[in-house]
Amino acid sequence: MLELIIQNAINALQWGSFYALIALGYTLVYGVLTLINFAHGDVFMVGAYIAFFVATFFLVSLGVPGWVVLALCVPLTMILTSLVGVTLERIAYRPLRNKGAHRLYVVITALMCGLILQHANLAIFGASRKAFPPLIQEHVYNVGGVSFTNLKVAVIVTAFLVFLILHWIVTRTRVGMAMRAISYDKFAVPLMGIPLDQIIVITFVLGSGFAGLAGLLFAMSYPVLEPYMGALIGWKAFIAAVVGGIGDIRGAFLGGFLLGAIEILVVAFFPSTLRDLIAFTVLLVILTFKPTGFFGVAKTTKI
Amino acid sequence: MMLSVENLEVKYGNIQALHGISFHVNAGEIVTLIGANGAGKTTSLYAIARLTPPEAPRVIGGDIRFQGRSILTTRPSDVVKQLKMALSPEGRRIFGNLTVMENLKLATFARDKDADLEREYERVFDLFPRLKERRHQRSESLSGGEQQMLAVGRALMTGCRLLLLDEPSMGLAPVLKYELFRKLKRLNEEGMTILLVEQNASLALNLAHRGYVLDTGTIVAEGTSAQLINNPEVKKAYLGG
Repeated sequence: MLELIIQNAINALQWGSFYALIALGYTLVYGVLTLINFAHGDVFMVGAYIAFFVATFFLVSLGVPGWVVLALCVPLTMILTSLVGVTLERIAYRPLRNKGAHRLYVVITALMCGLILQHANLAIFGASRKAFPPLIQEHVYNVGGVSFTNLKVAVIVTAFLVFLILHWIVTRTRVGMAMRAISYDKFAVPLMGIPLDQIIVITFVLGSGFAGLAGLLFAMSYPVLEPYMGALIGWKAFIAAVVGGIGDIRGAFLGGFLLGAIEILVVAFFPSTLRDLIAFTVLLVILTFKPTGFFGVAKTTKI
Repeated sequence: MMLSVENLEVKYGNIQALHGISFHVNAGEIVTLIGANGAGKTTSLYAIARLTPPEAPRVIGGDIRFQGRSILTTRPSDVVKQLKMALSPEGRRIFGNLTVMENLKLATFARDKDADLEREYERVFDLFPRLKERRHQRSESLSGGEQQMLAVGRALMTGCRLLLLDEPSMGLAPVLKYELFRKLKRLNEEGMTILLVEQNASLALNLAHRGYVLDTGTIVAEGTSAQLINNPEVKKAYLGG
């Protein structure tokens, strides 16, 4: 019984790590711009594809050993994916912001950006799925009836590290302070000598960079890639961020793991076809009782 | 001349808010812009701070010069960083979700690495001891007067040489008003140039060296504070007879 609980806990942590990593990007951008960046799930998908191309290039074309490829994949995927995120900000969101467009239009633009990423991918690389090449030897460890792989542990450790890094940036650094200041009063930020757009770009770099990292880890864990892979996981991560209290780093992290845990639990006791139905129902119930999420605070809109 | 505004015309959307106003501020002076609500005082400061629409106006004519150079293409963050002008805006606009200390620290974002910040925090705390007592509190929990002190302190922490103040007396109890204005006087004596926008004309003219009277986007009177105080028109319209 104890082994079963620990086994499921590890599975839940690993599965929740992906939600948490993606939810962090949603919550960062929302925290700064009060924009729900609905393209974020697809940025995760693009990250997985970037990782795929980087990995195949080094592994197959150049014959570089797998662990070197992984060491190259992590920074390259993060950098290239963050460029995608920054490009979206630059060509889609910033012009609207400078015109003072209502939030609703920016959210609809974000939805469209996501669709464009999906269908551009479909148009360019075709509908056939891509198989992600194995980069490292997966070892299965067995401790007292509980089995886990080195990859699973790496995913969980990465998610915790990313959380700690982001939490440190937001609470301790001046850039993080500027992010929080923007979320409170965008207008007054330039008065402090802070270039608003620069901070917003940093926010997108962080959010999409870590979505890229999640894409790489996801592709390594479930090595089948297709253009719509970011859609559902993106929605779920968004809901996880809302349940945690969107805008709060701790909330996104907690929400991601909570959703992971609920899904694993459902699968452990029910047919797996019920997974999403039950998981979303539980989240809906949580939101009914705590509409602002765990860490969220109700904000009054100033008129 | 430190700052000069020349025939400035600005619009909010299609509505013209300033109809070609001119004024200037010399280094070391306290200059005040007085006038009723909607006269264009805040608009003038927003234009000088180069804030961008939709909240701030669009310049359609004239020029704003800092030490002789036009600043119409300067970004708002560079107005603070390079020109060392800082605006303490109307309504304070402090970051309520940050602590007092974080608000002050944030204002040093654009400062040189070698600036002696510890000494400057001390200077602000010396000027406003209340802020020191409350430095670890979330700033939205401060009283109105304390928030105003924070707004001024925050502007000072940017390392400014020209302080733009928008309605610093608004919402303050009379005792606090006089206290704040005494502190502004002290700041000026220590070398700070101040451009002060006020609805409370008598308070402003008592502090300032010179002043301009704005009415619906035009300057209707100007002169030394003494001249304005004794100007019958100004007396009648703004100083309560």
